[in-house]
Amino acid sequence: MRRVAEYLTIWVPLLLSAGHVVLFTAWTTWMSFTPSTLVPVVGWVGWRNYAAVLGTRNWSIAFDNLLLFGAGFVVLTALTGLGLAILLDQRIRAENVLRSIFLYPMAVSFVVTGTVWSWLLNPGMGVQKLVNGWGWTSFRFDWLIDRDMAIWTVVIAGIWQASGFAMALFLAGLRSVEADLIKAAQIDGAGPIRLYTRVILPSLWPIAVAVLVILLQFAIKTFDLVRALTGGGPGLATQLPALVVYDFMFQRGHIGRGSAAAVLMLLTLLGVLLPYGAWKFYRQRRAARA
Amino acid sequence: MGLGSSTANGVPPVRNAPARLLLHAIAMLLAAAYLVPLVVVLLNSVRSAEEIAQTSMIGWPLAWAWGNYARAWSDFCIAQTCTGIQPYMMNSALVTVPATILSTLLGAVAGYAISLWRFPGHAWIFGLVTLGVFLPEQMRLIPWTIVLRDVGLTNTLTGLVLIHTIQGLSFTTLFCRNYYLSIPQDLIKAAKIDGAGFFRIFARIVLPLSPPILIVSTIWQFTGIWNEFLYGVTFTTGTQQPITAALIALTAAVADAPQYGVQSAAVVLAALPTLLVYLFGGRYFVRGLTAGAVK
Amino acid sequence: MTTIHRRAVLAGTAALLATTARAQGVKPRLTAISQWSAGSDGAAITALGKKFEERGGVWQHSPVPGFTTDMMNKLRAQIMAGDPPACSQLKGPEIAAWSKIAPTVDLTDIVAAAGYEKVVSPDLARLHKPGGKWAALPLQVYRTNALYLSKRAMDKAKADKIPVTWDDFNALAEKMKAGGVANPIANGGTRPDDGQKFEAALVGISPTAYRAAIMNLDAKALNGPEIKAAFAQTRKIADWMDPNTAAQHFSTNLARFIAGDMGMMIQGGWAQGVLLNAGFKLDDFIIAPGPTNNGKPVFLLNADAFIFWQRKDPDLQAGQKLMAELVMDPAIQTMYSQITGSIPVRSDVDLSGPGWSDGQRETARTLQGAIAANQAVLSLAHNMAQENGMTAAMIDVITEFVKNSKITPEQATTRLAEAVEGAR
Repeated sequence: MRRVAEYLTIWVPLLLSAGHVVLFTAWTTWMSFTPSTLVPVVGWVGWRNYAAVLGTRNWSIAFDNLLLFGAGFVVLTALTGLGLAILLDQRIRAENVLRSIFLYPMAVSFVVTGTVWSWLLNPGMGVQKLVNGWGWTSFRFDWLIDRDMAIWTVVIAGIWQASGFAMALFLAGLRSVEADLIKAAQIDGAGPIRLYTRVILPSLWPIAVAVLVILLQFAIKTFDLVRALTGGGPGLATQLPALVVYDFMFQRGHIGRGSAAAVLMLLTLLGVLLPYGAWKFYRQRRAARA
Repeated sequence: MGLGSSTANGVPPVRNAPARLLLHAIAMLLAAAYLVPLVVVLLNSVRSAEEIAQTSMIGWPLAWAWGNYARAWSDFCIAQTCTGIQPYMMNSALVTVPATILSTLLGAVAGYAISLWRFPGHAWIFGLVTLGVFLPEQMRLIPWTIVLRDVGLTNTLTGLVLIHTIQGLSFTTLFCRNYYLSIPQDLIKAAKIDGAGFFRIFARIVLPLSPPILIVSTIWQFTGIWNEFLYGVTFTTGTQQPITAALIALTAAVADAPQYGVQSAAVVLAALPTLLVYLFGGRYFVRGLTAGAVK
Repeated sequence: MTTIHRRAVLAGTAALLATTARAQGVKPRLTAISQWSAGSDGAAITALGKKFEERGGVWQHSPVPGFTTDMMNKLRAQIMAGDPPACSQLKGPEIAAWSKIAPTVDLTDIVAAAGYEKVVSPDLARLHKPGGKWAALPLQVYRTNALYLSKRAMDKAKADKIPVTWDDFNALAEKMKAGGVANPIANGGTRPDDGQKFEAALVGISPTAYRAAIMNLDAKALNGPEIKAAFAQTRKIADWMDPNTAAQHFSTNLARFIAGDMGMMIQGGWAQGVLLNAGFKLDDFIIAPGPTNNGKPVFLLNADAFIFWQRKDPDLQAGQKLMAELVMDPAIQTMYSQITGSIPVRSDVDLSGPGWSDGQRETARTLQGAIAANQAVLSLAHNMAQENGMTAAMIDVITEFVKNSKITPEQATTRLAEAVEGAR
């Protein structure tokens, strides 16, 4: 009787969770090969949906933006998080207050973040208007409506929102650096800068990788933020894959093509995750053998 | 806490005075930058709509419109129903609290089972469950529609709780399993020899060690579910909707002169629960992460 | 024999009694979803709801806040769950598309009884009769290419003639600029707005080309000189806009428009409702027909409608019948259009009374004239000419063109044709 309860408790939630992942992915993949438009239907159109999606300017712009946004957002957020973590690790007064200040953006929903930043970055309403009102009339900060710079506004809002998380992880990492290594380096006469570059930062490497991976998958899935901040515009300038999926599936009433875009997005995600998973597996094997 | 001591892990802080002054200055500057959006919204929430439209979104109130909060809470009109955001906040609470509790507890048990009980197939199941963290939400919208229909939970708050619990399980299992890996196997073996079974070991050994990770999980889930928008709008109607759906009136192009003042007040009220969670739980969040939520 | 006979009589009587009871006792109820949650649209639908309740019905309207897509998702979720609302907001070719996925109510008898079809323009009627049977009823008609002129800006330009052709329009814009109006055009930059600029340009240049290229997707027409000319005119309009607000909703420009810092707007009839709702007066602006080069009236149709989904519940069926009657009623259409600034669907409504603006009267006259000249066409920007997927693909090209001055009209024309092929 206890064994039954045990099996149920272990397996039911796990199967529900794993099951829903497998089923939903399989279903979406199946849909990408059907002629589904407004509602799912059965049928087979081969690769036509994929060809249609890959052939649109939406997808190519979205993918280019993903590379730009992904790299910019991930690297800058990680660096910002690292910087904040090192700062907080210095035993500054008001560390608790500062930590709360850097963390609170994570508490805010993407919709609100996108909306508030769209107010701030709006040249006619926000920062530019304020500075112009102070007398500096040639000041311009109109990235939001500039086709080439608009994607960076998403990066800015993204950094604000996510750097707290990166900071928290790096802080955790900094606090668990082994004391012996540091003592040894100090005995060897290392100054603070050398201490950081030779001992501490290298030992943060696994955490850094985790941060990069989490931020990257977050970048790939970015949706609410862009929708609230720029709506994908101006024109198509801030399109991202997640928006293209939503657009095709729901706005254009083409579930087949939307699913194809979703599968492409998933493949991109796997392109990041599988190497990471393999690397971790390899590391664990090496650690186990050593 | 003085300049002479080192940090908890032995990393020595920068000691000389000018450098520390610089450090403090940088910290203040950064803090100010991060606070700007919050301050702007707070200020706007006590300004009147006309004032904002005439000057700019960023500004000190010329006249204090304290009434915005009362209006946002109880008479703000969303979609022709003028009840303010109060019922929507209640709906969000009715979904977020049960889903957070359920997904955290189930995740703890699942994480425990995977990391310490090592049953056959545990690696595969864990891999699949974790994959759920990375699935995009657009892919899940229609399948959930079908599932909810088949179990008869369309348009109910219970349906939303179901969705968020199952999806949340991916995160909570990941967090808990990584955390529990640091519990020595010998402890478990000894308990088994003493005759303890699955549940007793969980209750007596694992659970008491869990608070840091449970807090991380609770904070993460609460925030994620409270702020979620897509499923909230699609799977509920009318006054049943969660607060995020009510706030979307801020961003949709309304053919109305936007009521930025009251809307800002609504934003502040809506963000209050999660802000408070991070305010009080922030330190535990970091502590929990330190203890190994993500490895 | 006798038993069966008696049972049959009993059954028949019971059925008769039940029908009578139903006819007398059932309270009409209507579940409806739309995205009209605020502004003049929200006010109008609420007023309609009150009328529904005055006639004894239970009104259960749930507006879905957010973008139209969110409402469509809600509709899809309900349909897939087997619980569609009794009626929902839908328009244009989407009516035909959606009617294929779930059964709709056949309104043909009700429509015939009210003599409605005679007073609805044929192009419009066609959209609401997928497969020849009425499944949806249009609620109001808007023109998308109305020309709004700011009186104060006209004064600054020392102009008093309302432009008729696109050349007149361009000349007036230049005069306004010379007179100190920094940004002659007050349009916004949302996707429908960009679409409006293009379709107004094209239909003013050649309604025949519009019909062939945009409505019928004829490849030759899509590559024709009129399309290039339309893009060129759109470029002119875009250049006269304020780059700071170029990506926003047009309502952010209203104050400056009225004050004379911006001069003209190519907007739909709803802008009247928006202007009045924002506190401005009819005296401050002029509504005129959009520019047309060939001297005959031209009209870009946009109509909102409700589609009726089949339900087995008798109270919902009664509610649908009541709603249909209300929507076709001239008095209700008058009330609705007076609130939103549209014109009634029925061509037999008298617009000379006090609740109507001159703009609305002129719009109705233009519609009649355009129908007579076969120059009443369906709006692309507002999802009337094509289904959402095709519309979106075409608007992608148009909005990119408007926002990127490096794209030439030739390139845009080629891209438009390619987009149409890709979205078929």
